[in-house]
Order: sequence, then structure tokens, then C-alpha cells
Amino acid sequence: MEKCKARIDSVYNGSAVDGKGLRCVVFFTGCNMRCGFCHNPETWTEKGIDVTLPDLVAKIKRYKSYIKNGGVTLSGGEPFLQAEFCKELIKALHEENISVIIETNGLICDKELIELSDGVRLDIKNQEREINSKVFEFLDFCQDKDKFVTMTNVLVPTLNDTQEKLQELKRVKEKYPCIKEVKFLAFRKLCESKYDRLNKPFPYEKYREGNNADLQRAYSILGIC
Amino acid sequence: MKFEQWNGFKEGAWQEQIAVRDFINLNYTPYDGDKSFLAGPTERTKKVMDKVNKLLKKELDKGGVLDVDTKRVSGLLAYDAGYIDKNLDIIVGFQTDEPLKRGVNPFGGIRMARQACEAYGYKLSDEIEENFKYSTTHNDGVFSVYTDEMRAARKVGILTGLPDAYGRGRIIGDYRRVALYGVDYLIEQKKADKVKYGKNDMSEENIKCLEELHQQIKALEELKGMAQKYGFDISQPANTAKEAIQWLYFGYLAAIKEQNGAAMSLGRTSTFLDIYIQRDLERGILTEEQAQELMDDFVIKLRLSRQLRTPEYNDLFGGDPTWTTESVGGMSDDGRTLVTKNSFRMLNTLYTLGSAPEPNLTILWSDNLPDNFKKFCAQVSIDTDSIQYENDDLMRPMYGDDYAIACCVSAMQVGKQMQFFGARCNLAKLLLLTLNGGKDENYGMQVAPEGKQFKGKLNYDEVMQAFDKYCAWMSRLYINTLNVIHRMHDKYAYEKIQMALHDTQVTRFMACGVAGLSVIADSLSAIKYAEVTPIYGESGLIEDFDIKGDFPKYGNDDDRVDAIAVDVLTRFSNELKKTPTYRDSIHTLSALTITSNVVYGKKTGSTPDGRKKGEPFAPGANPMHNRETCGALASLNSVSKLPYNCCQDGISNTFSILPNALGENMDKRVSNLSDMLNGYFENGGHHLNVNVLDRAKLVAAMENPEMYPNITIRVSGYAVNFHKLSKPQQLEVLKRTYHGEM
Repeated sequence: MEKCKARIDSVYNGSAVDGKGLRCVVFFTGCNMRCGFCHNPETWTEKGIDVTLPDLVAKIKRYKSYIKNGGVTLSGGEPFLQAEFCKELIKALHEENISVIIETNGLICDKELIELSDGVRLDIKNQEREINSKVFEFLDFCQDKDKFVTMTNVLVPTLNDTQEKLQELKRVKEKYPCIKEVKFLAFRKLCESKYDRLNKPFPYEKYREGNNADLQRAYSILGIC
Repeated sequence: MKFEQWNGFKEGAWQEQIAVRDFINLNYTPYDGDKSFLAGPTERTKKVMDKVNKLLKKELDKGGVLDVDTKRVSGLLAYDAGYIDKNLDIIVGFQTDEPLKRGVNPFGGIRMARQACEAYGYKLSDEIEENFKYSTTHNDGVFSVYTDEMRAARKVGILTGLPDAYGRGRIIGDYRRVALYGVDYLIEQKKADKVKYGKNDMSEENIKCLEELHQQIKALEELKGMAQKYGFDISQPANTAKEAIQWLYFGYLAAIKEQNGAAMSLGRTSTFLDIYIQRDLERGILTEEQAQELMDDFVIKLRLSRQLRTPEYNDLFGGDPTWTTESVGGMSDDGRTLVTKNSFRMLNTLYTLGSAPEPNLTILWSDNLPDNFKKFCAQVSIDTDSIQYENDDLMRPMYGDDYAIACCVSAMQVGKQMQFFGARCNLAKLLLLTLNGGKDENYGMQVAPEGKQFKGKLNYDEVMQAFDKYCAWMSRLYINTLNVIHRMHDKYAYEKIQMALHDTQVTRFMACGVAGLSVIADSLSAIKYAEVTPIYGESGLIEDFDIKGDFPKYGNDDDRVDAIAVDVLTRFSNELKKTPTYRDSIHTLSALTITSNVVYGKKTGSTPDGRKKGEPFAPGANPMHNRETCGALASLNSVSKLPYNCCQDGISNTFSILPNALGENMDKRVSNLSDMLNGYFENGGHHLNVNVLDRAKLVAAMENPEMYPNITIRVSGYAVNFHKLSKPQQLEVLKRTYHGEM
């Protein structure tokens, strides 16, 4: 793994929904999962653009004035696949007083990277199977270090909005006090055109889109208003 | 000198001479608290608004014009008093004797006045027609001098929107002077100036000044007469908050009776008025409810200001705007904020009276504004889409702390600076003219000197070399055309009352403008980074372009193309400065289109960036629609690179974002929008129109207008009621980038 070179899809500047405040989001390419609801299938493979550490830092620094109350979100793809680069990136951004959180599926528990980050958005992939045991290992470490964890979960109607699945999430949340926030995301099909462009079938075409009522129900099961 | 009306005010230099800024600085009370003190509308205000809404509905049902007085020529003394309801009105005065009835103002040009009447089913009275047979209008004057070249440039639309057939506007009288000093004192001062100027050598300029002073004094006398029709004697200073608002409004009312300029802006009045309101509150003769009620009634009057326009005019300036621009907030030179409780009250009218496009509320944003005020502004933007923002930290060093915005983005010191409005030059067309060897791509006319025609793959350096030549030609022609226009406007349609509310010695700007900035930047980027080959039609002119490969596009924070935009602006600005201006005015430039970006697009052939013939330009300095792919902040960063120092008349950026993309709840949206504004202005951005709305909502509004009667959106330096835009303008608004859409 390279320390000062990475492969990314793009940088999106000005997200207000990927963590606190306004954020620049770096989308790394390469993923160790193939979720059927994935919004960014273009990041599955490692095709993308090569960036060097100084270039990426310089690019992000142009947005310092906007992201004082927000920061940078490393997303993807799975950023932990390029953990060495991410570590260097976080160190460099910290020198600029820019806060960095990482979005991950929690399958790679790189302790040093977790420690360096200012928070984790852990997306629980429980749509088709049980929560992977590696995710608990990941959470154990976050708990150990008292990392700020936001647990996210894409609710796909009939797949993982059932009582059992949601009760399980509730147990996870209760077990790990480091999970300070829970965010349910409604399943959407806006990404369908991306699959068309990639000549890939959209695996979750058959499911209906989630709505606000679905979200409210999920939050109430977890005891969050 | 001392008036008893000044009791309770801190003494200072403002008492010895006209110095409103000094008065404000000594007497205002900065406010850094939150909105919780604000009062809602009173029962009276609700009653009045009920009547107003009925009138507005009638106006819309009648096709946009409720009534026209075709018998009289508009002027300060032309009409009797008019009211919404004499028993309910607190602040009084209308342009004619009835609300929303439009007056006729033929001084700019009789043809325009006649056509405007006819467009709405009226006929200009024989008497006016007869009278104007014997008088020269501004329009007559201009066309008696226009050269063939000027006419050609105007015909093909490389120069468009020139104020040669109507009032030029963009002049802000210091209406506060009427309240602070009373009209008699103002007359005295002008008379003293007349004596002073009488001692100078009688150069043409000096004679002109003396004649203008004579006209100004006459106009001030008429101003008193106008107020008398409403039962007020405004010869003395205002004694109370109510009087201060009324006096000030009379000053503004006189201006909009006399002139029909496109933009008739109000200035910077709320903090000035706060001083009077604060004094009355402290004296116990006014409550907060009453203070809001006064501001509400003032704003109701401002919202009902109207001018008679032709349908062609509405293509350029869609939605019947008046640009009653009021600048709110900003910082004082001494570091205190100029935000007062009345800044909040002014914004609060968008809640007490409902959202509306006018007055054009403009926040002068500084990093140091109180946090509570920033949050309130962001909240108002999210709730109403009715306000715009401009960078006080950028303008204050140039204009001091008592400037205001005229129209959309034009800064000027109130009562000390004015501008000659110069509309704009179509830069995208200028590039096509360059490639066609001086011929217009649509008419085939040889508009500019003949040059070489470009065949085969375009070479960037060669194109730029030729562009430089045409830039020089255009700039000289542009300035000369404006010189003609403004000489004639001064001669035949001089702004008597507005200039009476200026210092006699004023600084003038020659305010040029450009349209199609993003089109030319992307076009040159395509020529430089992709392969662009012109395709010739049968007429021997370029019809389209073959574009191979990709190229960087303006709006993505990519220096390769953003630098081209900066370079084009700088070149044009430098070229303009080479031609001397009328009355030694200072050359300035803006990147602003109003809604004319649609018309400009219509008149411009296919461009090397892939934009097809007739397609709209992006408004102002905006990146082209949907070419911004790196996020909202990248788009803002591109625009903020444009240098204000060579574009000192303003750089307009209109920004639309989906509510959900700004944050998941109201608190987060408010703080994120506030962060966005802070960041943009810290990076040197000049202006931002903010819309927080869904495209879907606009589509629904187009399909079911009755469901959304008051939908207000910011277009380009101003706000409009969406329904007042033409269909092509509405469609262009829908085409724009809405940040956060997937």
C-alpha cells in the first residue's frame, strides 16, 4: 500500500449530509463489498484517478474557509483499503486544523487509522446477512478509544426494516456507548442511471424506495425520537 | 445650527454641514442580540395587507398592469394624493393618485411610452403626444448622434440593454437627508453652492453644474409641494420616527415619480431610521409593535412602486422589478457592527407581510457581523428565498462605511457617488465576431473591421491575438456609445430630485458590463484543451463547432479555465480604460446579466464550448448550467477568483441548493448556510443570491400557479415572483444547477 499516492474517484466539495457542518468528501475507489443498494458503484473497482498526498491536501485546503465547523469525510469505496494513505492524509489535514472523519463498512479494523480519525461513520450492512463479526471487533476498538461513532444503516424495505433486524441494531447501540448517533438512510433508486452507464444490473431494482415513515418507525424502535 | 427636532441626538459635525454618515456614526445603537424582541403584524397591518393582496391579484389577472394614467405626464406635482385606505395608512404616498396605477414618463423616449401604453390596451392621450412633438427626449438626443457603427452594434445585440430609450436609473438619492435636515436647509445649501460655482470660470462643465443646481433647487421646492398634497410640511427636520420614515419616503417617492430608471434603489436606510425609533422608544412614545408597524407600512408602500414598461423591456428585466434595493447590515469603520434592531425589523417584514421580491433586501456581509444576525439572515433566506448577500469586507475599504447597493451589485457612497449605467457587452458574441473576421454570425453584417477568418482546428494563441484586436475595437465603441447616451440623459432627462439629494461635487462611475462570461471562458478552454474546428454554413459564416475531447469547465475550481475567465475580464477592463469617459467618470465593470442572459443566448450563435445557437447563457458570473460537477463549494470557489478590483461594479452569482442538501434540519441548514456565506466572502466572493428550494416545487408552481401564488426566487441580483417571469425565463431557471441533486 502506498503512503503518498492513492486512487480516488472524485472529491465533492460542499456536502452537508456526510457528517457535521459543511464537508469535503473524498471518494476512494476500490471496495471489499458489493452491496445491492450501493449508491457509488463506480467506486467498486480501483479504476479512478491517481492523486498524490500534497496535491490532495492542497486541493482540500482551498475550502478551509468553508469547513471550519465541518471538515473532511473519507468515503468511497472503502477508504480502509488505502489505510496507509489515509493516515498520512489525516496527519497532514490535522496540521491545517481540519477535522477528518471516515466512512466505512467496518470490515478492516486498522487501529492506527481509527485512532487518528476524529470520528467514524460506520455503515452496518445487515440487509442480506448477519452483521459481520469483524464489525464488532471494529466497534470494540472504537469503544476502547471512545471514538465518536455514527452508526448508519440503509433501510431497504422488507430486507432489513424488520423488527428482528432493528432490535438487533438497538442491542448493538446499547452495547457500545461510543455510538453517539444513529442515522437511518432511506433506500433510494436515484443511482440507477449509474448502473446503466456501467452496464451493470441494479441488484435492488425490485425493492420499493424507503420513505420518511419507514425512517420514523425505525428510529422509534431504537428509542430515538 | 440647531433644530429642536434634533433634541436627544449626540452633537457633531453633522449639524454644521450635510453629513448623514457622521450623524449615524455618533447616534446609532449596535445590536448583537437575537430576533426574540421582534413583534408580529398588528391587526391594522393585516387589514391593509388584505387589501394589498386583493389589489395585487387584480393586477396579475389584468395581465400585469392594473391601470395607467394616460392623461398626465408623471411628475412630483402631477397627481393628487393617493391611498390604500386613508384611515388605515400610516406612511402615505403613491406615484399616482391610486395604488398600482402607473404614470407615463416620456422623457426617456415617447415611443417607448406609447408602446408601453398600447401593450396593455391603453392609448397615450393626444395632449401628451402633441406636447412631446415639440420637445426632445433623451431617446431623440441619443439617436441624433449615434453613428452607423453604434447602431450596428446595437442591432446585432453585441451591446444590449443600453439605457437609450428609458431612464438610466442606478442613482441613489440620499433620501435620509430629507428626514434629518428638512427640505429648507437642503435648499439653502444648494443655493450656497450656486453662489460658489458662480465665481468659477464659466467652462462648459461649470455652466452645466449651475444649470443643474437650478434644476435641483426647483425640484426640492416641488418636493415640499408634493408632501403638502398629503398634508405634510417637510421644510423642517423630522421630529419622530414616524415623521422620519415619512420624510425619507417622500424623498424616494419624488424620485420614482420623476424618473423611470430600471433600478431606482432606496439606499441604506434601516440603521438611520433605527436612531429615530430608538429615541421614540426611550421617550416612551413608541412600542415595539408600533415600530414594526411603521416599518411594515413603509415597506408596503415600497412594494407597490411601479413603472410602465414595454414587453421587450420585460425580456431583459423579467418580472417587473424596480430594484428598490435596501442595503442592510455591514460594519462601521470603527469596528462596531452597523446592525441595529431595525435591521432585524426590515428583514422581519418578510414574515409580517409575507415574502416578496421588493424591496430588494441586500445583506452587507462581514465576517464580523454578530452571529445572531448571520443566523437570522440565513433563516430568512431558507424561509423566503428573498434576500441577497454582498461582501462588506471587500467593499468597505473602497467605499467607506456609508455606501449602498444600487440595482443588484453596484456599490456607491450614498449621496457622494453616482453611476452612469452602461448595460453590457456580449462577450460570447465578441468571440464569434473574432472568429468570423468581424462579421456578425446571425446577420452576416460586417459590424467590426474586417479580419481573418478562422479555418481548420483553432489555435488558442492565434484566437487570443485576434480577440485582443476586437476587444480593443469593442471597448472603444462601447465607451463612446455610453458617452453619447449619458450626455443626452443629462441634457434631456436629468435626475433633478435625486441629484439634489447628492453633494454638488459628486464622483461618477461609467458602469460597463459583460454577459456570457462563462460561455467565453469555457469556449476558450475548449479551444485550448480540446480540439475545436469551426463548421461553416452556406453563408460563409461559422454555424457550429466540431469539438473533440474534453476540456476543463468554469465552475469546478479548476485553475486552468478559471484563469481564462479572470484573464478575459482583466483584458476587457484594461481596454475599456483606454477611452476617455463623459464627465471624467471612472471606468468600472460588472459581470451581471439580470434576466437578459436568456435574450443574449437567443441572439448568439453556437459557441465553441458546445452551447448551441439560441441557448441561454448562465446568468451573471455563474458557471454554465450543470457543468459544475465538483460540488457547491467548488462552484463558489471558481466565481470567487474573479477579481473585484477590475470588476468593481459587481460580480453576480446566483446559487440554488436543495433544502435537504443544506442539512437535515433547520438548525443545521441555518448554520451551514452561514458557514457557506462566511467561506465564500472570506475567499473574496462579491455577491451571492441564495435560493434554497426544490426544482420540483417550481415545476409544480408552473403547472398549478394558483397553488403557489407568492413563490419568490432570486434570479440575478434581484428577486421576482416566479409567475411574473416569461415562459423562456422560467424554463431557464429550471435548467440551472440545483446543488445537491443527484
